[in-house]
Amino acid sequence: MTYYECIKWLASRWTDELVVTSAGTSSEFWYDITGDTERVFYLEASMSLSSMFAAGIAYGLKDKRVWAFSGDGAFVMNAGMLAVEQHMALPNLKHFMISNRVYGSTSNVPLPGRESNDYAAIARAFGVSRVFSFKDLNDLKSNFGEAVSNPGYSFIHLEVQPVNDRPGSPPMDGPELKFRFGRNIENISNKKVFSS
Amino acid sequence: MDSIIEASQNSTERANQSGYSRKIAQEIVDICFNAGISLAATLPDDWIAHTIACFEQDSRFAHIPVNREESAIGICSGAFLSGTGSVALMGASGLMTLVYAITKINYTYEIPVFLMATYRGSLDDGAKFHVSNGLYLENVLNSINLTHTIINNVMELSKIEEAYHHSRKISRPTVVLLPKRLLQGKG
Repeated sequence: MTYYECIKWLASRWTDELVVTSAGTSSEFWYDITGDTERVFYLEASMSLSSMFAAGIAYGLKDKRVWAFSGDGAFVMNAGMLAVEQHMALPNLKHFMISNRVYGSTSNVPLPGRESNDYAAIARAFGVSRVFSFKDLNDLKSNFGEAVSNPGYSFIHLEVQPVNDRPGSPPMDGPELKFRFGRNIENISNKKVFSS
Repeated sequence: MDSIIEASQNSTERANQSGYSRKIAQEIVDICFNAGISLAATLPDDWIAHTIACFEQDSRFAHIPVNREESAIGICSGAFLSGTGSVALMGASGLMTLVYAITKINYTYEIPVFLMATYRGSLDDGAKFHVSNGLYLENVLNSINLTHTIINNVMELSKIEEAYHHSRKISRPTVVLLPKRLLQGKG
């Protein structure tokens, strides 16, 4: 499947989840398709930390569902994140790891181990029980309910093709993202994010 | 295999033998709770084994042992946006690895996080491999304008709560450095 059609279809199934995207393509496509500026934290300065960031949100907002997007460039840098996610076992967190075997935000420079890295197997080796792997969009559509809609922490590996044309970053500076996202959290929960 | 609580208790016994103070560790943890902290993401250092055990064994906290210090920054930054008070607790060497995460996540988005780290490389630190922290730790913190304070003795423990709230006030990270003598109950 292509990266764009993967994100576009997932965005079509997006309801009330809070979303954290990562450096480069997932942030750019998600913003291009949804235009959302309140329920999405475009963590472009993430370099392997988007799912950890999302885990912090999911821990503090246990009645909210959280989708985290990362890439295999990030995964290779910090595969140990899965040990932490498995330990936290947050039932409201889904981790979508989009793999295209290149560092997509830096001119598609090839990844180490690009031909042999078996991300689903690595996740299982960390003890993650709900691991899903899709390289075909129809397969993703058919199994979306079990992988994403059902409660329980899931690691979902999505194999896509490298991207050549990207739409560019969401047009917001960091503090604006923080306040938009944080104010929305305050509105949809009884939590106070910002101090007076 | 031991349960995590049993493993934590074993760690406590080892820390006792090494001369570190459970009482001080508990005081630090109590101050964190009173400040509004309910989540602790930690990586170990001998000096703070008691403190980590106190977080692990205290039901007022969610204790998250993490794989690397950057993961602690990710979790604590996300926790801030969920309205959850948190601390990232680590050794000085771990703090030295955080220039990227702090400058990219916390400075770019102006997200506060509160860190506590060992003040390694001091004159009473017997570990040769921590000499580099004595030479460079504070210089590195200063080079990225990372606000930090040293808790020199028990009377200054209240600075922990002040540093936590200061982080919220300035929308930047703050760091509390914990010397060996303090953690041994001698300060």
